[in-house]
Amino acid sequence: MPHPTQSFVRNGLLSVIDAAGYAAIGPHLEPVDLPKGTVLIEAGEPFTHAHFLNSGIGSIIISTADSQRVEAGIFGREGLSGFGCLLGADRGPQTTMIQVEGEGYRVSIEALRDACQQSASLRETLLRYVHVFISQTSYTSLSNVSQSVEGRLARWLLMCHDRVTGDDIALTHEFLSIMLAVQRPSVTTALHMIEGYGFIKARRSNITIVDRDALIDFADGMYGTPEAEYRRLIGPFG
Amino acid sequence: MSRFYLHQQIANGLIEDPDGTEAVDLKAAKHEAVLAARQLLANAILAGIAPLGTAFHIADETGQVLLKVPFRDALPPQFIKSD
Repeated sequence: MPHPTQSFVRNGLLSVIDAAGYAAIGPHLEPVDLPKGTVLIEAGEPFTHAHFLNSGIGSIIISTADSQRVEAGIFGREGLSGFGCLLGADRGPQTTMIQVEGEGYRVSIEALRDACQQSASLRETLLRYVHVFISQTSYTSLSNVSQSVEGRLARWLLMCHDRVTGDDIALTHEFLSIMLAVQRPSVTTALHMIEGYGFIKARRSNITIVDRDALIDFADGMYGTPEAEYRRLIGPFG
Repeated sequence: MSRFYLHQQIANGLIEDPDGTEAVDLKAAKHEAVLAARQLLANAILAGIAPLGTAFHIADETGQVLLKVPFRDALPPQFIKSD
């Protein structure tokens, strides 16, 4: 089966690795559609594939025994799912699923590990991404304890905006409530307030970013550092 | 299970609940409204601002309001000044 050439891929990690690194991984990439709700990794189940996204948004969610859920992190075309396999793990406690539909490539865990053995460029790029992802989850923790719901919402909307094409983001209030670990009416109220400031337009299952710079100011320093880390260590982002 | 909508009464109108929520019955929907009201009040207190809403109007799928839940009903009794 023909595989995508490196100049064709839009995934930020696959785009920046050197040619030898791409030669190691490219033949193992299988194109996949990723509809909303696709579960990439089930909590507690063995990793089978990693997914490099070209578009869409994936979400890493951690749940309590009684199904209270909170989002630990998001990734899009800048990242990949299943990086635990690069760190020697065979499974993990989080669920990884698609929240905004997109497409990308999947690669078996064995092929990814082999390719990382062959190519320092690939291995180091992916490990730098793990570092950036940990920076993102660290800021999420900080944001969750220090910011108002509106401030947290502004940060998350910016993070989603970075990962979609255009200014519209297809997100339900239900998903936003998981993202922010609040009840749905808190999301609805926060959207109402931010819309009142003129930063966004909120419609059912769709949010339009109207004034990105104002949202960044409103996020009060909680947005931007992990994104800058990605640009410093890996390549273009957003 | 039925779908209930928790529209929020604010000073100059309603903030509509676009998606609604699944609950076994109105009593369960009321419980959800009480928990949501507590969170909204807590968010406002932490932010040092007045809460936007004053009550939830719980509606069914046809838009019929089944129950109004004032936010004050979500407060512990000792928080409420007796008249």
